[in-house]
Amino acid sequence: MGRKAQKNDSLPGSLDMLILRTLSRRDLHGYGIVQFIQQSSDNELLIEEGSLYPALQRLELNGWIDGAWGVTSNNRRARIYKITAAGRKQLAVETRQYTKLTLAIARVMGME
Amino acid sequence: MENAKRSEALREEMELHLAEKAAELQAEGLTLERARAEARRRFGNVGRKQEESREIWITRFWSELGQDVRYGCRTMIANKAFSAVAVLSLALGIGTNTVIYSFMESILLRSLPVADPESLVVLNWHSPPPRDGSKEWVHVMHGVQGMAWPGDKGAMVSGMFPYGAFETLRVENPVFSTLFGYFNGLNRNLSIHGQATSASTEFVSGEYFRGLAVSPAAGRLIDTGDDRPGAASVAVISFLTSQQRFGGPSSAIGQSVLVDNVPFTVIGVAPPEFFGVDPAAAPDLYLPLHTNLLVDGAQAARMYPDGNFYWIEMMGRLRPGVSMVQAQAVLAPRFHQWVAVTATTDGERAKLPALMLNPGAAGLGSLRRQYAKPLYVLLTMVGLILAIACANIASLLLARAAARRREMAVRLSLGAGRFRVVRQLLTESVMLALLGGAFGLLFAIWGVRALTFLLSNGHENFTLHAELNWNVLGVTAALSVVCGLLFGLAPAIQSTRPDVMPALKNGRGGGPRRRAQHVLVVAQIAISFLILVAAGLFSRTLNNLHSVQLGYARENILLFSLNARQAGHRDTEIVAFYADLRKRFEAIPGVSSATLSQSSIINAARAGQAIRGPMKIGAVTVEDARVLAAGPRFLTTMQIPILTGREIDDRDQPGSRPVAVISERLARTYFENENPVGRSITLPDEKRDLEIVGVSADVRYGGLKNEEESAMTVFVAVSQFSSDRVTYALRTSGDPLRFIQSVHEIVREADSRIPVTNVITQAAEIDRTISREITFAKLSKGFAVLALLIACVGLYGTMSYSVARQVGEIGIRMALGAQRGAVVWMVLCRVLLLAAVGLAISVPAALSASQLVKSFLFETQPNDPGTLALAGVVLLSAAMLAGYAPARRASRIDPLAALRHE
Repeated sequence: MGRKAQKNDSLPGSLDMLILRTLSRRDLHGYGIVQFIQQSSDNELLIEEGSLYPALQRLELNGWIDGAWGVTSNNRRARIYKITAAGRKQLAVETRQYTKLTLAIARVMGME
Repeated sequence: MENAKRSEALREEMELHLAEKAAELQAEGLTLERARAEARRRFGNVGRKQEESREIWITRFWSELGQDVRYGCRTMIANKAFSAVAVLSLALGIGTNTVIYSFMESILLRSLPVADPESLVVLNWHSPPPRDGSKEWVHVMHGVQGMAWPGDKGAMVSGMFPYGAFETLRVENPVFSTLFGYFNGLNRNLSIHGQATSASTEFVSGEYFRGLAVSPAAGRLIDTGDDRPGAASVAVISFLTSQQRFGGPSSAIGQSVLVDNVPFTVIGVAPPEFFGVDPAAAPDLYLPLHTNLLVDGAQAARMYPDGNFYWIEMMGRLRPGVSMVQAQAVLAPRFHQWVAVTATTDGERAKLPALMLNPGAAGLGSLRRQYAKPLYVLLTMVGLILAIACANIASLLLARAAARRREMAVRLSLGAGRFRVVRQLLTESVMLALLGGAFGLLFAIWGVRALTFLLSNGHENFTLHAELNWNVLGVTAALSVVCGLLFGLAPAIQSTRPDVMPALKNGRGGGPRRRAQHVLVVAQIAISFLILVAAGLFSRTLNNLHSVQLGYARENILLFSLNARQAGHRDTEIVAFYADLRKRFEAIPGVSSATLSQSSIINAARAGQAIRGPMKIGAVTVEDARVLAAGPRFLTTMQIPILTGREIDDRDQPGSRPVAVISERLARTYFENENPVGRSITLPDEKRDLEIVGVSADVRYGGLKNEEESAMTVFVAVSQFSSDRVTYALRTSGDPLRFIQSVHEIVREADSRIPVTNVITQAAEIDRTISREITFAKLSKGFAVLALLIACVGLYGTMSYSVARQVGEIGIRMALGAQRGAVVWMVLCRVLLLAAVGLAISVPAALSASQLVKSFLFETQPNDPGTLALAGVVLLSAAMLAGYAPARRASRIDPLAALRHE
């Protein structure tokens, strides 16, 4: 790990979106979600792994994801999360907002 | 979901995460230890993350609850009529339950206010019935001062013992740390600074206060040194007495008082909460046991050595580690050994009393014995009322659930969890219930007061003080929540059941819900019928008691008692004193006649007879005649007709020839057609011959419930027999209570040391003997009205709803030519059907349940057909009335409008 990876605190609330996005591709357990986010960002995004769990609780309480006990690929008991219909709607909403926001920032920075 | 389960799951998830991360790092080449440390570092603070998660659930819980409560408030306000009906019926249901429970708490559950009440035990004994086949009394107990009560299978149970038994058990007792004795000294004349009042008195052995572990509010309490013949006569007074008579506990210490004219010194004041060992009493005065030798003289001296006279009660405090069963095993043989010696005949030896220990934490059981069963009956009734109220609200909620089905469908389809919606509905019903509970509590404050008044029924120093303490409040709150869940759960589950959603969406249908509503209505009708039957039976009982022929006047008579002997008056002079007072009372303007007797007629049986044993007329023994010692003008005052001869009057003096007036029944039985006047009747006590001077009409001697109707009565002259306490009766014009002031003035003038006690009208005195029946009749009538009202509201609601659901069908029927009358009849038929099903279920239940209250009835059979029929008619008419409004509405449906709506 040569370059210091970026910690995901520049955009508060984006963790929820990342989790929802990850789960919209496939059902995963907590560790799997972290790995997936890191791998798919080429290790650019380094989330504070512990923060994942309060976020998962919040999402579940909001009814956006559903956790159930299952078995991981290497045969260990884990809570596997899947996205709900409400979660997909929420993901759409958040994606829209995020896109708007980044576009706005990019415009200001004159990068467009 | 429970937070503990969630916490556990979260912990497991996090551990797995750390393990997998460590494994990954290890695969990258780190050592196991470094890998673990690195995994932990990257994860962040595990404890804090758990904390954060927990916070999320908790704030979530509260914010959802807040949402639900706000939403519930809005719904309640939006449905004002529904909410009002629900809250009101619940308030009445919960309120009545709170009232009855607070009485149960005070009577059946509350412990004595002393240290470690659990280690106290009461000593009782039980023996086979004392009377043998020929009704002769055969028992080692030859005499008793106090109470015996029936136990199982006709056994006799009592807490009274001879003094010898107390002494035997007291020495070297291995199971009790203390054993103390006491007896009820009844009312004594307590004179303080020349002011006399009547004070209830408890005589206590020297170990009493130590055994109960009570500390004084001031001064010191009676100890063993005070309780022996010849000790300085000292007294302990109650806290209340110290306040009322001395202006406070500390100023009472060292004061001298007169108890029945015997000087005592006040050495201490009992703590304010202390009321002795009997919740039914609250002594004003505690005296050392042996001071009864001073106060009662020779009579008391005879009681101590007599092994066959039962008069002292005992309580013990178990030594630590000793159980009640062990104590009984140790003491029973000891008592048996002692009591065996007191038996003189084989008959007595065959049924010796056996010692029995009972828990003493709640004190003596007289109140429990008296009120436990009535309270259970009342509790059942109010429990049923609450059930009706709950059923009512459940049924209203079911109806409303239909109205809200669209709302529920929308919420469910928007992704709200079913659990979440059920929870929100339950929050609403619990809110209703809590609001009902709050109003119920207000109702209960009034109800406790009203019921105390009813039960005490004018008794002076009535000690049954129910209160709304934390225990009662807790039970009320719990009851409200349980009710809310109970009546809310079924409708909530049903209205959110996924499989009925499509059916609900297209309108009609709703089969299961209607069935549920019908079940609820039928249950309400069945329960109402039970309560109606109870009300009917208790009212009949009261009517029967009120129509008992007394044979003497009930109205316009003032009664009060005096005890001149306790103030120091002695024989011969006491008779003149009483006679003089009678004349002065008779001279009060508005009093047409005055008289005195050993007690009021209604209480004569309880007060004890002046003469015991069989009387004789010539050689013939008179069976079952009662003696009442009465003064001049007794028959006139009581309006008992004199059939021949004269009544007892002022000519009958202590020295003159003893006389008697006999009742008609007695005269007919023993003299047949002869004139008894001039003949004589012999009393057993001193073989005295009384000359019969007159014959009176029959009167009912003693209480209203006595089995023997109008027993034969012999009136003797109170002046010719020893009289301590007498009861005066004044026949007044108008309200007897107006004359109390004059009576007090006359007595104070005659002798200010004598308190006037038990001032009451004759009517109230008679009602007092049937206070339980009066209470039951009044309460059950109230309960019946309540039950009927609530059930009718339920029936009305259900029928209105069902008519509203059938608008289309009725419209078609009318369009096809159905008459309005036929429509009304159709709806009423359904009401009748529901009522009939309810009755069919309830009649057998009522028949068997009424057997349980058999002992509360008087000259009424538990299966009294008249009462059952009346209850049925009332119920059916109420049901028809409740069903008529919806039926009428159904008949007013405009067929065109109805069909267009379709």
